[in-house]
Amino acid sequence: MKPLKKTETVFFSREIYSEEAVSLAAAVFDGRAEVSLSKSKGGVTARVSGPENSAGEFCNEALNQQCRLDLGRINSRIASLISTKALLSAAGDKPSARK
Amino acid sequence: MLLSNDAGFTAALTGADFARYAAGRLKTGALHKELAAKGFVREMTDFEGCAAACAKKNAFLNAGPGLHILVMTLRCNHKCLYCQSSAVGAAGGGKTDMSRAVARRSVDFALKSTNPSITIEFQGGEPLLNWDALRDAVLYARRRGRELGREVRLALVSNFSLMTEEKARFLVENEVSVCTSLDGPAGLHNRNRVFTGGNSHSETARWLKYFSERAAKQVPDYKTFNPSALLTVSRFSLGREKEIVDEYVRRGLQDIFVRPLAPIGFAKKLWPSIGYTAAEFARFYRNTLAYILKLNAAGKKLRERHAVIMLEKIVNGADPGYLDMRCPCGAAIGQLAYNYNGDLYTCDEGRMVGWEGDDLFKVGNVLKDSYRKVMLAPAARACAAASNLELQPQCSRCAYKPFCGVCPVYNYETQGSLWGDMPSNGRCALSMGMFDALFALLAKPASAKILKGWVAR
Repeated sequence: MKPLKKTETVFFSREIYSEEAVSLAAAVFDGRAEVSLSKSKGGVTARVSGPENSAGEFCNEALNQQCRLDLGRINSRIASLISTKALLSAAGDKPSARK
Repeated sequence: MLLSNDAGFTAALTGADFARYAAGRLKTGALHKELAAKGFVREMTDFEGCAAACAKKNAFLNAGPGLHILVMTLRCNHKCLYCQSSAVGAAGGGKTDMSRAVARRSVDFALKSTNPSITIEFQGGEPLLNWDALRDAVLYARRRGRELGREVRLALVSNFSLMTEEKARFLVENEVSVCTSLDGPAGLHNRNRVFTGGNSHSETARWLKYFSERAAKQVPDYKTFNPSALLTVSRFSLGREKEIVDEYVRRGLQDIFVRPLAPIGFAKKLWPSIGYTAAEFARFYRNTLAYILKLNAAGKKLRERHAVIMLEKIVNGADPGYLDMRCPCGAAIGQLAYNYNGDLYTCDEGRMVGWEGDDLFKVGNVLKDSYRKVMLAPAARACAAASNLELQPQCSRCAYKPFCGVCPVYNYETQGSLWGDMPSNGRCALSMGMFDALFALLAKPASAKILKGWVAR
């Protein structure tokens, strides 16, 4: 028996959610549910069509992406230092001399 | 209440003490002195000391890939219930065997690593099914290591079912350490590790005994290693903690490595029958640790490997070289998986995703690509970014952050993105359960003494 498909519409207010966060969440949901996004007054509307709980899970993912973007604005400098150091050390690059 | 900081220092506070500390009312006394010494009081923090502790704990950031996993074949003569290794049947005409030429190129590639000390681990499938190439690769790695003056450790992961006296002697004489799977007493082990060609448990036990006896009789010509074993916890293991630990003691093993199942690969399809919740695993882990500590208190020597790895960080502030629990994770920059055909992946789990038809974690090929190109491949960079805990919303403020790590492959397989979503992430819940268990035991003087003894230097 095919699982029931449910369609729900969710509005994401611009005051909390950036367009980027909602779009990233939609990309994560590729293959799990059909998500179509449209700009609305004051934010983005998502039409989520998929198995039971898809819309709720999509909201969680959008929140996760927004928190990640917010955190990136605060921590991106230290995070970049750590990841770049690890990658360049592994690639064999010597640190450039300080001027 | 547990406090931690990026230097890796921790302090356990009562709720009342934490309230005083958080309100800035803790200004004198022994606790204040302890917190100041550990870098929790800003105006009294020894920043140079904290920086040195950070550098020690994160020494791996300067190293490069130390672990090089050579998949000698995808063939396997076992059909384990939880197998994630994309193994195919033992027959198959060797189409998925690594050739001698690819094995040698893989060894050469591994020796290009910036890490001064590398480990080449021979895996499968069952690597003994491709013995000729394995034997040749061992001799070649030893020769090239000598010529280049490099420290090369060799390790074999095998189910031992195809081991012979001749092969065992060769491995011992060439200083190849051996690791196998032991899931508990015979009934449990054989239920998990299905081997139609014989009795998996008895073969495992037989060769564990052989390698243990060889390690007990060291000779001057070469160093012989104690064998080690991995425990994969399936639903059938739950409630059988004592029997499993007793089996490890019976086999003379010094460590037991309690590893949870992951719902990826073959195990994903069978998850409803062999899987469990994070809470069920946490209970299993707590019970296992409690029993091991009880045996330790009675004079038996046995350690749990996950605990040892975490204690190395928590107690010694050192990097234990465990690639799954660090920031960033070891994908490519700490390890590489070499598939039978020379394809390179960020890790063995990434290779398994590739076998399912998705090469997201492929970073190159030993026959075509340069070492530098592989290290800076898009997948390597993406994993280094996605596993950076500073950018993970929940992890960045977690008390266990200084000791933990996330897995982009697990996230991708279970949640659809490299970043995952930690509040609903199964691996995060499992790690939390293990940290909770460990810190609860560290808060008790008697168990703390034993645990600290496991990593005493």
